[in-house]
Amino acid sequence: MPDLRLTDNGQPRPAPTPPITTPVMELVGISKFYQSRGGVFGGSGERVTALNQVSLDFRRGEIFGLVGESGSGKTTCGRLMVGLERADAGQLVLEGREITALRGKDLRDFRRKVQIIFQDPYQSLNPQLSILDSVAEPLITSQACPASEREGRVLATLKAVGLSPAEDFAYRFPHQLSGGQRQRVAIARAMIIEPRLLVADEPTSMLDASYSAQIFDILLKVRENFGTTIVLITHSLAAARYLCDRIAVIYRGHLMELGQAERVITQPRHPYTQALIDATPKFGDCGEVPRYNALLAPERQGGEGAGCVFFRRCARAHLTRCSRQAPVWRRLEDGDMVACHYADGAPDPGPDIAACPAPGL
Amino acid sequence: MALLEVNHLSIGYQTPKGLLKAVDDVSFAVDAGQSLGLVGESGCGKTTIGMALMGLLPPNGSIVGGNVVLDGQDLSGLGEDALRQRRWRDIAMIFQAAMNALNPVQRVGEQIAEAILTHKPELGREEALRQVEGLYQLVGLPVGRLHDYPHQYSGGMKQRAVIAMALALNPKVIIADEPTTALDVIVQDQILKETRELQKEFNIAIIFISHDISIVSEVCEMIGVMYAGQMVERGAVGEVFRNPRHPYTKALLNSFPALGGPRRPLKPIPGEPPLLIGHRFGCRFCDRCPVPAASCKLEPPELVQVSETHFVRCDNA
Amino acid sequence: MSVKDQITAPAPPRRHPWRERLLENWRVFHRNPLGRVGLILLAIFAIMAALSVAPPLIDPMYHPMTGVDPEVMHSSPPSWRHWLGTDFMGRDILSQLLAGTRVAFMVGVSAAFMSIVLGVSVGMVSGYLGGWTDIILMRLSEIIMVMPTLLVVLMLAALFGKLGIWTIVLMIAFFRWPGVARVIRAQTLSLKGRPFIDAARVAGASHARIVFRHIMPNVLPLAFLYMTFRVTAAIIIEAALAFLGFGDPGTVSWGMMLQWVWKTGHMFQAPWWLLPPGLCISLLTLSFYMLGRAMDEVLDPRLRDQSH
Repeated sequence: MPDLRLTDNGQPRPAPTPPITTPVMELVGISKFYQSRGGVFGGSGERVTALNQVSLDFRRGEIFGLVGESGSGKTTCGRLMVGLERADAGQLVLEGREITALRGKDLRDFRRKVQIIFQDPYQSLNPQLSILDSVAEPLITSQACPASEREGRVLATLKAVGLSPAEDFAYRFPHQLSGGQRQRVAIARAMIIEPRLLVADEPTSMLDASYSAQIFDILLKVRENFGTTIVLITHSLAAARYLCDRIAVIYRGHLMELGQAERVITQPRHPYTQALIDATPKFGDCGEVPRYNALLAPERQGGEGAGCVFFRRCARAHLTRCSRQAPVWRRLEDGDMVACHYADGAPDPGPDIAACPAPGL
Repeated sequence: MALLEVNHLSIGYQTPKGLLKAVDDVSFAVDAGQSLGLVGESGCGKTTIGMALMGLLPPNGSIVGGNVVLDGQDLSGLGEDALRQRRWRDIAMIFQAAMNALNPVQRVGEQIAEAILTHKPELGREEALRQVEGLYQLVGLPVGRLHDYPHQYSGGMKQRAVIAMALALNPKVIIADEPTTALDVIVQDQILKETRELQKEFNIAIIFISHDISIVSEVCEMIGVMYAGQMVERGAVGEVFRNPRHPYTKALLNSFPALGGPRRPLKPIPGEPPLLIGHRFGCRFCDRCPVPAASCKLEPPELVQVSETHFVRCDNA
Repeated sequence: MSVKDQITAPAPPRRHPWRERLLENWRVFHRNPLGRVGLILLAIFAIMAALSVAPPLIDPMYHPMTGVDPEVMHSSPPSWRHWLGTDFMGRDILSQLLAGTRVAFMVGVSAAFMSIVLGVSVGMVSGYLGGWTDIILMRLSEIIMVMPTLLVVLMLAALFGKLGIWTIVLMIAFFRWPGVARVIRAQTLSLKGRPFIDAARVAGASHARIVFRHIMPNVLPLAFLYMTFRVTAAIIIEAALAFLGFGDPGTVSWGMMLQWVWKTGHMFQAPWWLLPPGLCISLLTLSFYMLGRAMDEVLDPRLRDQSH
């Protein structure tokens, strides 16, 4: 694949410096709620918590994985990060500046720095616009590039994501491309203005395996050549392990665990992470991954008050403590974060020795 | 003799542009209580095979070669009526996007009862509903929810209901077409386990169609890898995974990130799958194959036997 | 070639995606039998409209309204002199028919065009902005929509006396835009939630840009489709108005011709006079309808016979 390095004047970019720990973006105590419409005749429905006190930081040049199932709030989080949703509480900080209500020039600057690619390649391109027009859109709206150079830049970007010969693709319409090709166009569109942060919301869940692998490849190259921070939103721990430097696990709007990818996968602290690992299909030849048996099935009844959000399905829960007291999102010795009463200090002793719940009342 | 045998099956669709051969010379066999995974990407023909086995091909599709033998009887020769008799009693299907296969304006229990009554009208509604209760217990659904509508069920519950429907008449073979695609990973795991248990209990043969080779590795004993309408490799799961012979199988395995083991780089397969209209010379994977030989372009590769159960369609294997 | 060269090198000859697209659409359109027939009919009428300038040029006597043939001062059947015969005053029917074609096109297309422009704008704005704007605009459209167009126009005509042709056009446009607006609004609502609109927003597009650059192209095909139906409606309304005596007395239209036939009691005596305008109204509206149906197939790939 050709070199992705581009700058405004076409000179090759110097090799990126190793990642430094200044966060590109920070989420501080972000919460978001939805009011669901109750009943057939309206009236106030329940308040659904999409995100609860989520705090994350994304470092320059890292690939960060946000892993969760449906309803976990991961997509809401991604949309919030690019300004498609607004948080109900908490702050969003981009490169040290807090972003609340942005207007005009500030909003334009923000848009230049943060981009997103969506899950559905069949819906994320305007069917009435040619590929050229779609990819050129960020250039036009950000006024970052004189009109005469636009076409050349689009062609170069298309070539960089592997759509070659670029001229063939540029003048086609989305319905003439396959899903994998469309997703590449989406990446080209997001990267053409070289954002600092790219949110990839389940970019491969609707693609076949071979296309997925191609997209992973491109994302890795994007990070390598541009130093862009990538936030991968996914339900697949395996994909997160492959691509990401750090992983955060989210469940029903609450962060459960955060740490270096390899450590989270091989030494998961939180029972939910363990349950996910248990449930993820593994190949025959990948060696023995221990079974944690952290999931309680069928669920416990009751106990949906102030306690841990995972209480009902947790096999290691303490019947009183975990149901009454929500665990704090705290930092452990090695820098990882976890929200569980029973993940103190040393990692979980192992699958055979479950943390025995003390008999409840 | 195996319970279900598929011999040199070819299926074609009539299109204005000519005959589209969706399936070309595919053979496999499944025993009672055994699972075979049909794996491949979109357009490889795996769903078409499932439809053909059920006799549910669209009007412009037909079996153009080979045959299907279920329990000693040749299915391809049967008329529409006879086929309908056997359908669901002997061979049932869990459709892709099964959750959408439930009628949204009819209660779930009733739908399953209706499936039973269609084939056994002599039972009567009361008895049919009682059998549905039994099925619910079997698949782990609360019997009290029998009279709910589909939208009141969660995704996992709907999937279980669809499985219950497939089991309703005690079939010998179940074809599961991507049954867990839309489900979360934990629910998927539970359902796969439960399906395995049911399979063992009732000695059912399952053909598991999926694009996700990792699921198949957990659930099936045998695997058949499909590409562009042909079966390029077939064998016991353990053996095929440890010792994949076809370049496409190897490439496919290399396309899936693994949770355990060393962190190896994924190698994507370049290019796109071929069109299936018109006659092809040589191997269909040739254009994308990392190790093509001169003969590959000219002649279709032969089926090579690697071991007792392991077969490969490749000259270079 | 280095990256820099690629950027500043002369752009490769630009293909024209729009032209190719139009060509493809044309092919589909052409294949549809309704489209072909509709187009042929329309072509015939277009030629007729073009020819309407001919008679006065040939001979001032043949002016549709005043060109009375002194030799034939009454209604007469078709002859070599007058291919379609003459009306009760001795005026040539053919030239009247041709003039009427021009009027029909004018009225039909203008009224349809105006109502589409209004309907699309309102529909898009209403659907995109939502909230109070949406509520107010939709209530307004409902009020207008439930009014029976013909009756209200007749009432206004009765109040204000005879109406000029352009007044009629404006009124038809005014009463017809709500139907379009509602459909366009529905489509806008469904487009609004699609990921590519989100993508445009994240790419930095303003609201105006999103509406006109991203939503409008997706909405226009449906708008064109509706325009063909509007033309049908407009022609019929104008004809009805003229027939009932409320048309513009200065212009010859098919409806006007029918009025004369009826008023002078020649309905059953002069079929050569009665039939042509009636047939023309039916055929022209039919041709636009067929066009609309063929366009339906162009717009919705699923309706096409062959896989595209």
